[in-house]
Amino acid sequence: MRIEYHIEGGDFSAAGGASSAVRKTLKQFNIAPLLVRRIAVVLYEAEMNVVAHAYHGTMTVDIRPTGIYVVIEDSGPGIEDIDKAMQEGFSTATDEVRQMGFGAGMGLPNIRKNCDEMTLTSTPGVGTRLEIQVNF
Amino acid sequence: MKDRNYTHSIQIDSNKCIGCSRCMRVCSTKAIRIVDGHARIQPERCVDCGECFRACPQRAIYAKDDGLTSLPPGHHTIALVPSVFIGQFPPGYSATQVLDAVRQVGFDEVFEVEHAVDFMKRAYSAYAESHLTRPLISSYCPAVVRLIQVQYPALTGQIMRLKAPHDIASLFLRKSRERRNGAPEDDAPEKISIYYITPCAAKSVAASAPVGEEKSFIDGTINMTTVFNLALKILRGQKETMDRKSVADMSPDSVCWSLSGTEKKYFPGRSLAIDGMDNVIEFLEKLELGQITGIDFLEMRACDQGCAGGILCPGNRFLTVERLEKRRERLRMLKEEHRGTVENSLLEREEELHAHSGVGPVYPRDGLLLDEDMAKALLKLQRIDRLLTYLPGFDCGACGAPECRCLAEDIVKGKATISHCVFVQRVMEKNYKLSPEQSFAVIEKVWGKNRLDKYRE
Repeated sequence: MRIEYHIEGGDFSAAGGASSAVRKTLKQFNIAPLLVRRIAVVLYEAEMNVVAHAYHGTMTVDIRPTGIYVVIEDSGPGIEDIDKAMQEGFSTATDEVRQMGFGAGMGLPNIRKNCDEMTLTSTPGVGTRLEIQVNF
Repeated sequence: MKDRNYTHSIQIDSNKCIGCSRCMRVCSTKAIRIVDGHARIQPERCVDCGECFRACPQRAIYAKDDGLTSLPPGHHTIALVPSVFIGQFPPGYSATQVLDAVRQVGFDEVFEVEHAVDFMKRAYSAYAESHLTRPLISSYCPAVVRLIQVQYPALTGQIMRLKAPHDIASLFLRKSRERRNGAPEDDAPEKISIYYITPCAAKSVAASAPVGEEKSFIDGTINMTTVFNLALKILRGQKETMDRKSVADMSPDSVCWSLSGTEKKYFPGRSLAIDGMDNVIEFLEKLELGQITGIDFLEMRACDQGCAGGILCPGNRFLTVERLEKRRERLRMLKEEHRGTVENSLLEREEELHAHSGVGPVYPRDGLLLDEDMAKALLKLQRIDRLLTYLPGFDCGACGAPECRCLAEDIVKGKATISHCVFVQRVMEKNYKLSPEQSFAVIEKVWGKNRLDKYRE
């Protein structure tokens, strides 16, 4: 079952909508509540990355009996150094974004910690693609 | 583990229900459907918040209690009265007078629940130190606890595992009749029955089917409205005024514990007080997404203004709050007159009470589940999505479900058919898939046999 969501860059007030919708859907399944929560946290962080850094993006969620597969693709500045971006505490967020309480450099490390598989690819100046898998 | 005890206090009297669907529209957990012309509650989703009770114009929805008639003869009966009850009366009647009127209603003894709050305050500090989960959610409001079980299963582990003040008060009343070695005091009555005068349906359920406990310390509940009517009659018939209390028997702000904003002050760190079903839901949504950080404690009340807004409180909630605040000030004065001392005998048993103040873990309920089997649930979800493309999407409720989405869910669960939708009916009739007689029958199935009679010539 595939669901697609649009994410608008810079729209902090509406951020969390996509991850919230996925979480509501998952609650209808017989999945351990804490696993649902883990997935929600992963998707929220991923969604926030698009909101905080990119111009716009899409989140495609595929729910299968074995797990959830998510692709978040955005058009934006991209990531220059992926290894560095994966380090805890590293962030390129602007002061403006930081003032709103984001940009602590924990987003990507948090995603990696909470999912079973993660692939991050990026072309600087074009955009970023993040693939996430969480097994049920 | 799952909690499958779906006992409820909120009931619908089909003889009074006219199937107006107001209750269905206000239900926060989408637990109500209209079937055969009457509202029907889905037990796995209901949290006994009582929003439907408020909305019902027919008074067809009621809160089931044990009632005064269930008081066992021969027992020493004790009424546990929450402070909010005193707040229902005009300031001319003193607390002492009101409590005595409750005794005259038919009890041997009366005890104000909030005596136990002084114990709770200490228990909170201890709990904060020994439990590191944050934020912890207050277990005080049973409607909030049930809401979390049904709608926010991931948060059940964050509910504080402490008994409510009326349970502690009840425990104290039993313990105070025992000696330290557990043997009964010489003058102790053989059998005691403790009844709680409840401001809401949720507290009744908490007594009859407690979460995280085998059995409650409360023997029964009586709706506050019942006791209010009888007590007011007694008070009106009284000529002479009674003496007022001369010492503070509990700390002043304890009387405001059931309202919004007092409880949160007693948990160390950052805490918020949230009242009203909609506000509670909005916050829990954010909390479950992990968007809330740095908060240590959440005081949550399903009713606006806390228990002053309880569905069984006959008075106005704002006047109740004012009365309780005045009472707090009076207790403060008494406390100062006695060099800051409070004489609360309940605290003498603190250690004993502490040993029994915990409850077991709180487990989620199945309210939202489509199917136990993951693959089947996925198929059902796909069917729901497909159905939603056919349904009009403005939630008219004519199908007997509060939203198009609910109808779609009911269809995949086998509880309804697509022809329940009046829009789909029109299209089916046009395409000769449904005869006018058949759609007539469908409407009657939802809205009742005689519902369409007035349109007959």
